This record gives sequence, C-alpha cells and structure tokens, in this order.
Amino acid sequence: MSAPDMITTQVIGNALLGIAEEMGVALRRSAYSTNIKERSDCSTAVFDHAGRLIAQAEHMPIHMGSMAGLIAHLVGADLGLTDGDVFITNDPYAGGGTHLPDITVAAPVFRDGELIGFVADIAHHSDVGGRVPGSNSGDCGSIFEEGLRIPLVRLVTAGRLSTDVLSFVTLNSRLPEERGGDIRAQLAACHIGRTRLLELHDRYGAATLREATGALLDHASRRLRAAVAAVPDGEYAFTDHLDPDEPGGAPVPVAATVTVAGERIAVDFTGTGPQSALGINVVRSALEATVCYAVKAVLDPEIPANGGFFDGIAITAPEGCLVNPRPPAPVAGRTDCCQRVADAVLGALAKALPERVPAGSHSSVTYFTLAGEQGGDFWVYPEVVAGGMGARPDRDGLDAVQVHITNSSNLPIEALELEYPLRVNAYELITDSGGAGRFRGGLGIRREIQALDSGAEFSSHADRQQVPPWGLCGGLPGDPGAFVVHVRDGKGERLRSGRASGIHLEPGEAVRIEAPGSGGHGDPLERDPGAVAADVADGRVSPAAALDQYGVVLTAAGLVDVAGTAAERTRRNATT
Amino acid sequence: MIRIGVDVGGTFTDITALDTGTGARDVYKLPSTPGDQSEAVAEGIDRLVTAMDATAASIGYLGHGTTVATNALLERAGARTALITTRGFRDVLEIARQRRPALYDLFVTKPAPLTRRAWCFEVDERLSAAGKVLVELDTARLDPIIARLRELEIQAVAVCLLHSYRDPVHEIQIRDHLRRHWPEGYVSISSEITPEFREYERFTTTTMNSYVGPPMARYLDRLGRRVAELGSPVAPLVIQSNGGLASLAATRDRPVGTLLSGPSAGVVAARHLGERIGRTNLITFDMGGTSTDVCLIGEGTAMVSPQRDVDGYPVRSPSLDIHTIGAGGGSIAAVDPGGALTVGPRSAGARPGPACYGHGGDRPTVTDAHAVLGRLSPEGILGGAMRLDVAAAEAVVDGLAGELGMDRERTALGILRLVEAGMARAIRHVSVATGVDPRDHVLVAFGGAGPLHAAGIAAELGIGTVLVPPNPGTLCALGLLVTDLRTDLVGSVYQVADTEALPELNGTLRRLSTQARSWLAAEHIDPADRELTAVASMRYRRQNYELDVPLPARDLTTGDLTELVDRFHALHTEAYGFAHEGAPVQIVGVRVSAIGRIPRHEPPPLPAGGPTPPPSAVAARRPVVFEAGTEDATIYRRDALLAGNRIAGPAIVEQLDTTTVLPPGTTGRVDEHGNLLIEVATR
Repeated sequence: MSAPDMITTQVIGNALLGIAEEMGVALRRSAYSTNIKERSDCSTAVFDHAGRLIAQAEHMPIHMGSMAGLIAHLVGADLGLTDGDVFITNDPYAGGGTHLPDITVAAPVFRDGELIGFVADIAHHSDVGGRVPGSNSGDCGSIFEEGLRIPLVRLVTAGRLSTDVLSFVTLNSRLPEERGGDIRAQLAACHIGRTRLLELHDRYGAATLREATGALLDHASRRLRAAVAAVPDGEYAFTDHLDPDEPGGAPVPVAATVTVAGERIAVDFTGTGPQSALGINVVRSALEATVCYAVKAVLDPEIPANGGFFDGIAITAPEGCLVNPRPPAPVAGRTDCCQRVADAVLGALAKALPERVPAGSHSSVTYFTLAGEQGGDFWVYPEVVAGGMGARPDRDGLDAVQVHITNSSNLPIEALELEYPLRVNAYELITDSGGAGRFRGGLGIRREIQALDSGAEFSSHADRQQVPPWGLCGGLPGDPGAFVVHVRDGKGERLRSGRASGIHLEPGEAVRIEAPGSGGHGDPLERDPGAVAADVADGRVSPAAALDQYGVVLTAAGLVDVAGTAAERTRRNATT
Repeated sequence: MIRIGVDVGGTFTDITALDTGTGARDVYKLPSTPGDQSEAVAEGIDRLVTAMDATAASIGYLGHGTTVATNALLERAGARTALITTRGFRDVLEIARQRRPALYDLFVTKPAPLTRRAWCFEVDERLSAAGKVLVELDTARLDPIIARLRELEIQAVAVCLLHSYRDPVHEIQIRDHLRRHWPEGYVSISSEITPEFREYERFTTTTMNSYVGPPMARYLDRLGRRVAELGSPVAPLVIQSNGGLASLAATRDRPVGTLLSGPSAGVVAARHLGERIGRTNLITFDMGGTSTDVCLIGEGTAMVSPQRDVDGYPVRSPSLDIHTIGAGGGSIAAVDPGGALTVGPRSAGARPGPACYGHGGDRPTVTDAHAVLGRLSPEGILGGAMRLDVAAAEAVVDGLAGELGMDRERTALGILRLVEAGMARAIRHVSVATGVDPRDHVLVAFGGAGPLHAAGIAAELGIGTVLVPPNPGTLCALGLLVTDLRTDLVGSVYQVADTEALPELNGTLRRLSTQARSWLAAEHIDPADRELTAVASMRYRRQNYELDVPLPARDLTTGDLTELVDRFHALHTEAYGFAHEGAPVQIVGVRVSAIGRIPRHEPPPLPAGGPTPPPSAVAARRPVVFEAGTEDATIYRRDALLAGNRIAGPAIVEQLDTTTVLPPGTTGRVDEHGNLLIEVATR
C-alpha cells in the first residue's frame, strides 16, 4: 500500500466490515427460527466486483465456503445479472453450497449499470425437506434424500420478489412459515448490505473503492506470506480418522500433507479415504473454508479472512475422495469430516510449530434433531452439543465449547422446554472425559432429553464416537462420545454409529447425548499435583483416575499426599 | 438546602454541591481511597459543606455513584459463593452458552464461573415449563448442604432453580430455610434477582449478585454510618445501572444492579443537558484513556437493555444500554505484519500511559498523535498541572512513521482517522442494532478525550451537531444531582397475545405494580412525584428476541391488546423493515418501572456576551495540523467564553478537564447553559 492511500484503504476496509456486521444484525434480529436468532447459525459477507471476498462478519468459519462458492458461480456463469436481482441457492454441486440446510442469498450491486460488488448472507435452516426432519441426518444414501436442492436461481428479479420461487421453497419444508420468515430476513440483510455498499461507493467513488479493495486483498495476502515465511520449510503430514462409515468397517482416514516452502503453503489430501455412501462428504467450498480456518488459527489469527488470504493457500485433493466427492454423494453431515480436516491440518502443523497447536479437540458436530407432531403441526428441534477443547502446550483445554469450524450457542433448557414437548433430565460435564496430560484436555457434555406427550423422532450425525481425540507430546486421548436412546430409568441402548435416523422415542423415553472430551498435552505424571487435587475436588477427574493416570495420591480429605505422590510417580517412571 | 452528588472513580472522588437557596454551585475533587471508598466520600462532603459555610445538617439530598461491586467482580475479590440448583443442572454456569469467546484463537480462555464446581449443590425438585411442580422439594434435605457450606466457609449462596421465573415457590422455601438455619450467610434467589427464562443468564446474574453482595453490604454499612456521623439528616442514594437511584437497603439486596452503573450518571446528565436545549435524540460519547462508552437517547429516553456483559459474564438486569468500545486516548498504534497501520486493541493504560505524559511510555498512542499535531497545549493539560513532553511524542510517532514510510504528520493524522473510523463503526453498529439512524442525533461528547474527537466522528457518522457540556470531565457528578429514583421489576408471562392471555398478563401487571408502589412508598417518595411505566417484551412466536412495547400500567382490556399487537407490528417494521401481520404475537414478559421524581434545580445561566468572544477568552494562536494542512488556529479559554459567543474552526478550546477541537469548516456557539455546540458540515 502506498502512503497516504493506506489510511483511506483501511478506513474503507473498516466501513466494509461495518456493512457485513450491519447485515448480520439485520439477519439475526429479523429471523424467525431459533437456530438463527438464538444460536447465531448464520454469516454475512461483502464481495468485490470480481467476486472476491473482502469483508465478513465472523460467525461461522464454515459458512464462508458457501458464500464464496455461490459468488464464484454467479461470476462464472452467464446469468445476465441485472440491478435488483437477488439469487438463492443451497446446492453443494450446482450452487457452491456445502450442505442443503444452509441457504445462501446473494445480490449483485450495481451503480449506473456497472457491477461494483456483491453482498451475501447464509443461514442454517431448521428444515428443507427430504427424508428426515431437520434435513441434516448423516445417514442418507444420496443428496436426493437430504432435502430440496435449490439451484442458483433468482429469488428477486429486478427488485420484484418471485413469490413463485419462495413458495416452491417453503412448500418443501416441514416448517413453511418459519422458512418464509427466515428467507425474508435474509433478503432484508441483503437489502441493507446493498444500500450501504452503494453509500460507500458514492462517497469514495468507483476508482478509489476498487483500488482500496484491491489493496485490502493484497494486504491479507502479504500478511499470510509473512506468517508462512516464519514456518520452517518442510513437508508435514498427519492422518486422523473418522468413525467407520459402515457397520463393522474400518475408521476412514483423513490425511493432510502441509508443504511449506519460503512464503508458499500448500495442503494436499492424498491418502484420504474414498467418498462415502454416508453424508460425510466434503465438497470443495467446505474444504477450502476449513483449511483456511486451520491455517489462520495456527499461523496468525489476526489475518483478515478475505479473498487475498484464501487465494494464498494451494489446496489439492484427489477426485472421488471424501474431500472431493462426485455428485450425487450425500453431504448433510459434512461438518464432522470438516472438523477432521481441521484436526489433520492442525496435527500436521503441530510438527512444524509444536508450541502453537493444541491436542485433538472433540472436533465433532454432535448434531441431533428431535421432531414430532403436535396438534397437527410439525415441530423440529435441532441442537449441537459442544465438547472439550484439546489441551494447549501451556494450559488446560476448555471444557464444553464449540471448536474449529462452528461456534453455535446451545438452546437454553428453559427455552426448549417452553417451545417443545420435551424435558431435559440432565445437562452436565462428563467426569474424566478430558485426556490426562501435563495439561488436561477439556471435558465433554452429557445432555439427557426426555420425550413427552406423543414421543419424538430422533435423527443425528456425529463423529468421534469410536476414534477418540488424540493427545500430544505424551498426553492421553480424550473420551469419545455416544448416543444412547430409549433411555428409561437410566438404562438405554447405545447406538453403534453417530449417524442415525428414524428412531422413535416413546413418551417417557429419553435420549442421552454424550459429546466427546479432548486430548491431553504432555506427560500426565508431570501435571502439578495441586491441579489434579483441584480437579478431583471439582469432580472433573475421579480419584481413581488421579491415581491411575496422574500418579497422584490424595489424602482422605482430598489433599495431595506429597510423599506418596512422589513415590508413586517415581515408581511409574521406573517401570515405563 | 444543599444537594450533593458524589461520584467515586478509580483515581478521584468528584463532588458537586448545589445550594438550592442561593443557586451557588461548588465542586470538589480529592483522591479516592480504594481501601474504603467511603473515607474520601465522607471527607469530601465534609470539606465541601464547610467551604460553602454550611454544615452537614443542611444536606437535603445525597446522590452517590460507587464502583465497589464492580471492583469486587473485576478483581475477583467477591465472597466465597455457592450455588444451589435443580438436580442434573449443576453445570449450567460451566457450560454457559457453549461458545468460545474467539473463533480463531487456539489459546483462548473463557471466564470461569464465580463459584467452584465443588461448591455447586443439587437438590431434588423440579418444575415444568408451565410452572407445575413435578418433583416436590424436601427442605430437610438441605441440612447436609448447610453443614457443607459451613465446612467450606461459604459466605454467600445463589439459589437458582429451573423454571423458577414461573413459580418461585421452591426458591423461596430454600431461602427461608437458609435464613433460619444459616443466618450468617448472604442469600440471593434467581426468581427475585431476575425472574426471566433462559437459565444461564439468570443463574449467572444471581451468582454474581451473591458474589458481590457481602463486600457491597459491608461498604454500604460503613458509608451509611460515616454520613450519619457527619450529621447529614439524609442517607445516600446509590445510582444503579438503569440510571436511577435506590436506597442503601435496596442496593444491599440487589448489588448486581450497580455493576454497570459507572457511566450511567454521565448519560443521565447528558439527557438532562439535551432536554434543556430541546434536543431529545442524543448519542453520548464518553471517551477516556482506555475505553469509550456510548449510549443512545431517543426522544429523551435512554435506551434500556435487559442484558449486558461485564467482564465476559452476562448480567441480566435492566441497564442503560451503554456500549463500551475498547479504544481510548491510550490506545497504541502499531504496524501489523502486512505493513498496515493499526490502532489498539492494546492500550498504554494509565501507567505508563502515552509517551507525552512522561511516565516512561515508549509506544505511540492516540494522545501522542494529538500532541504531535499541536492539538494539546504545549503548556500541558489539567491547567498546566501535567506537562506534555511533545518531543517524546514526536520521537515515538517518528518511529512508527519510519516503519510505514510516511511522514510524521501523516502518520499522526492516520492514527486519528483510524481510531475515529473504528469509533464511528462501533457507534453505527450500536445504532442500527436498535433500528436507529445516528444522523438524526446530537453527539454529546465528554470524558477527557471525547471533545478531541467528537467533530471528526460526527462528520464520519453524518451527525450535524456536537454538544460539549460545560464540565465534560466531571459530568457524572452533575448527573447524580439530576437523577430520579428508579427500580425496574420484571415478570414472565409467555402467552400468545390474545384474550386468553389477559388473566395472566393482568395478574402479573398488578403484582408488579403493587411491588412498584410499595417500593416508592418505602423510598418515601411524595405521591405527586411517583410515576409507573410499563413495557411488554413481545415477539413473533418462535422468534427468540423481544422488542419492548410500551403499555399502560393498569389492567388491560381486549382493546388494549389489539392496540399492543398493532404497536408491536409497527415497532417491528421500524426496527427490521417488515412485519408479519397476522402471525401469532407472543408476550414473553412485562417490566414495570417505578420512578420517583427528584426536583431539579437550575444553576444560574452563563453571563451573556456578543458573538465575538471577549479578548480574555483568546489564549493564543498556534499552528495545528488538520487533514487539509497546517492551520493557524485560535486557542480559546473555555472558562472565559460567554453565552452567545461564536467560534469558527480551525480552533481549539482548552479547559481544565478537556480539550475541544473545532476542525476547519466547523463552527461553535456557546449557549446560556454554558454548552459548546459545534455545527459539523455533513456529507
């Protein structure tokens, strides 16, 4: 950037960010469904005239893929864009989406007949039809079972809302009123974004705006190169695994090789398993969003996440593999595989920068829906349960948080009991679910929900129910998660896979969701015994695990037996 | 009669007194006494009334702002606090909303609960969402818990049961049992602190109340005693986060209501100043060294937010909707790895502070940029009491300029443009989030740094008028003189707004209004000065955000309901651009506010002068750098300006507690209240 334009550029960058934020405010405030309003499962962005992302309001890293994908399609195809058009899509293969419940809405913005940019927003809709309520179960055989596929079509043509298209979409949802409300909220957000982008354009002029956005992209690209240059050159490979995608099958590898040479970084996924018959496939736009997340988090969290940054990472994956599937491979539960992609890239980068990478996190999107019918109306309750964040090289992992590509809130118990015929029996941390280490992995969550009245139908996708989150530098793995259904009097039936649908809970029966913990970091025998005693007092670690895993002997009062602990640890070190 | 406002800040305790007989006003400033804030409060009051040739016996009103509860929280110096909750839910505080505070930071931490997991006790009891008792409570089961409380030396307990906002029965039983068998402890129950659904927010707020309760109770006891010992016939009233005052007893029970009270007196004062000049749409802009507080005032009413964050914790307590931006005069400018200039989020704080303060600061800050550009008096600030080391500011800005390949002045101007653009974005965000267009507002600038930036930010936002109060640095103490007594009572309803909802709605309204009236009576408010207002929190069914719709504080009829729903549609359109006419509208809760009006006393007007300021008001001329170039600016002395004086930018107005910048193209005018009104050309 040349002085003095640099300051103007940054002032414009600040204004563009303000536009994305204001769109986010408009979307969340006017949306209908709890998923968007309460759980903020939505994102907004502004693109330049060439379709490059220049500003986003950070809500969900995974969403950037869909918006960038849609804009790429808009720019690439000859659609005859005109002023006042607004497009809608959700399709991973024909519209740049990542799975069907995420509906993206985008508008080209024109001034005096010239395209000056795009505004877009995306929201996770609680139902877009398909075989399973919630349209998000991981066990559909093809994308056709997963819900309504909306190709890239105009929802608004030259300023006029196409009620034909809108009713086509809403009719295909189990919750048409909610879909209509949410889509209108998305339109309102686009409308605000368009108005503000025009104001910015008129204030600075076309040439300055274009120059400034170019400079913003260059700046991010320069910042990425500076961060990459600081990484030792080399090839760093790591393979993580998804739970088996068929009964009795083997865990599915997700293999990442990160190559760093000077200022260049490339990530290749050769060695990753073939595309799956289950909805865990990750299309290109989702892969890019995930890799960018992981690289940014490790190398420089402050890099502006714009097109200049995204384009600086070379990503390759063999066609027909899990992270580059051919249509019509199902994709509903792609987030689980995205989380594993993030883990694989983090694991690889840990070899280059061990002081900057945590142990494996719960890294599942432990997603389920409970749905049913009451008084002639369908109800659908979607939820994601967070788990443990991996222990860091210098501190414990966080208990009970979302990690990597998602950061959605829970629905409060009281809100859910007011809204749905359900009752929550317990919502708690799971003792000992965090992997032992010099720094302990974060704990997972247990949530037990009981169906009332007419029962409920359970469907889900989740991972890390068999392959546990890994430890680092001698830290132990965390506990995997589980779904237990038909729970009565504390006893139920554990599902063999995290991907399920069509499970009917009778009134009075409950489902128990256990989200995974996370890996520990460093040798557990080196953990401060006082920290172990505190964990035992707080019920995060059981007394048995304190002795077995940490070699810490506690007195009856729960205090550290210093001599006993020293002796126990010496004995352990001698035997290993 | 003497009316007194006392505001305790981190460094100074400010006292403003007004003799209602003579109209005389006096201010006094003394160092705060952090160990026991009441020491400086009592000493300051004593000295001020003595200086006014009066005694404490003539005090008729004493408004007080304190940070004791806030400090106890920020310093984690609260009570050892335990939680008693419904079986199965002891981790509500741990799990929170399960989000991490930063998306890309792998080393992020989240605020730990204000209790410990080991101090969270579960009891067998359960209510349904409809408030039906599913599992009865057996208070005998509390006895082992009480034994544990004693063993653990717990000082305070928060009782937080699921769905207690629907029916507080079990929480009340537990509280009564604890009071009987554990009289030494401090107890809060969630159905009293914030009876609204969403357990995490309610549990956290209640836990916070218990956590700050004991230290606040001890402070209020000491304060009450000291003030009585001085001979004051009235006890202090304490300002709350909602911008109203409450008695010592009410504050003792609900200290969580003061956690965000720090900047609220300033907002009250700004509203008062706006009211006097007939401007009711205001944006307050209170910029200090490390942070900036912003609040919207629409039609003479400061927006009230049902929930705000303190140090990462949600506090569910009606509060003036003040937004804090993490930038101020001490924000540090730096070059990022991509070669771009950044300002903040790091701050030089009070120590070492900006380089030009000469306390060892070696990083360029926003204040250093002002010093370099000639906007701060080279003779120093605080009337010369604090020297400015301009050479030190130039040295640190030069270092930055070298890295950027820019000259000194462009670099300093760039720092100011960036900080102002960031502030403008934050103010814009605050406005649009409530459906407000900032352009229709007056920007009221105060705090040490507010008037330095106000004109620039106003231009960026398209705001035409800036108001700089007479004493921008001590506005809070003024606010304490013009604050009404107030309490906000909330109740849950959760009904679709049709005739069937009327019994529950009216029942809740009646209950809250009765409570509100007895509160006003307990505060000894003259019936003529009492006012009740009410709002309903409404939303479309399945929405999860509510809008506050005003409603009459009396029994409602079916006709009222129809009107209420219409008003909701209209408000929804105003805020979000559309309404779902015909969709079911839900009333989630109601809030009744009890207001006890405090008589206002006008200080005498500022003496009038002509359009040209008197010669004594012109201190100097000096070169000051603006975007368009270096200008020979007139430097005015604020205390010599007279009502009716006009000033044309480029100009600088200096006074003890702040510096006001009038860039070229702006004009200023002094009104009879002593305000400086700056007209800004908007784009």
